[in-house]
Amino acid sequence: MGNSQIDIAENPAEISAKTEMWRGVVASAPLILGVVPMALVLGAQAAQKGLTLTQVPLMTGLNFAGGSEFAAIKLWTSPPHLLLIVAMTFLVNSRHLLMGAALAPYIKHLPKRKAFPALFFMCDESWAMGMADARRRASSGISSSFSLPYYLGASAGMYLTWVFCTTLGASIGPAMGHAETYGFDMAFPAVFLVLLKGMWHGARAARPWLVSLVVAAVTYLLIPGGWYVPAGALSGIVAAFFWVEHK
Amino acid sequence: MMEQFHTVLTILLMATATYLTRTVGYIALRNRKLSARSMAVLEAVPGCVLISVIAPAFVSDQPADLVALAITLLAAMRLSMFPTVVIGIASAGLLRHLM
Repeated sequence: MGNSQIDIAENPAEISAKTEMWRGVVASAPLILGVVPMALVLGAQAAQKGLTLTQVPLMTGLNFAGGSEFAAIKLWTSPPHLLLIVAMTFLVNSRHLLMGAALAPYIKHLPKRKAFPALFFMCDESWAMGMADARRRASSGISSSFSLPYYLGASAGMYLTWVFCTTLGASIGPAMGHAETYGFDMAFPAVFLVLLKGMWHGARAARPWLVSLVVAAVTYLLIPGGWYVPAGALSGIVAAFFWVEHK
Repeated sequence: MMEQFHTVLTILLMATATYLTRTVGYIALRNRKLSARSMAVLEAVPGCVLISVIAPAFVSDQPADLVALAITLLAAMRLSMFPTVVIGIASAGLLRHLM
């Protein structure tokens, strides 16, 4: 290992921040590899819907939440249905509410000027890694167990890969021609089904999804336009609300 | 021109909505215990939206697409993201040519 030689002239806190950050980057490497194909597909589909080479990184760089970006591109028309897309983005990402709440005890010692920028980079992967690392460190007796540089290192790799590869996808996507000819449009259900598997907490908890699926499908067949998404989503949420009581 | 403005505005509002989801939970819920009902509802919401977005694929009038979707669903249950996407694309592409 080449980096075991530490320059004594450097500030020790700075050194440890650097090693911690690098530890995060290394730990996130397998996840980064998994993100690459997804990013390429998203970029290519975004370009096909008419987003330009600057708009794609604008979306993926400012929003940085893959599931909601796939949903937005799937619903994208020209011009885009602003309210529908923003509302669905909020709902897809509403899981961040719980993630942020769960992360809060670990980062409450951070000043706000650090906590709020750090929260910008909270995605499923960086959150899971930061939380798992904090629990590991807490159980081995380290006080202030959440390592901000580790979390930022893990986030940085994901973030740069996501923005770069979605842009790359947007630039090489149009060369591949129409998605439907080769089956590329099936990438959407594929990505969404894998995301759903990640949220799976047993058949009982998934019953609202079935309500959403049926209502959205029927609405899609009967009513033109993008209404099937809010109709399906809202009926699933209502079902979830009423089903809790009958436990 | 107008349309480009509309696109950028949509992107900026998307980003705002997403950043709100990231910060509001931290700000509002950090000192509060949520009821079992709120937790269950909140946990179900993202899945409800995602499955609604792909619902049209489940009622496609193309038999090839339905078979490809079934294959993709099986792949998603067993495999990770990359192989599932490859199997989904390949099965849809092949079946559309064959069926």
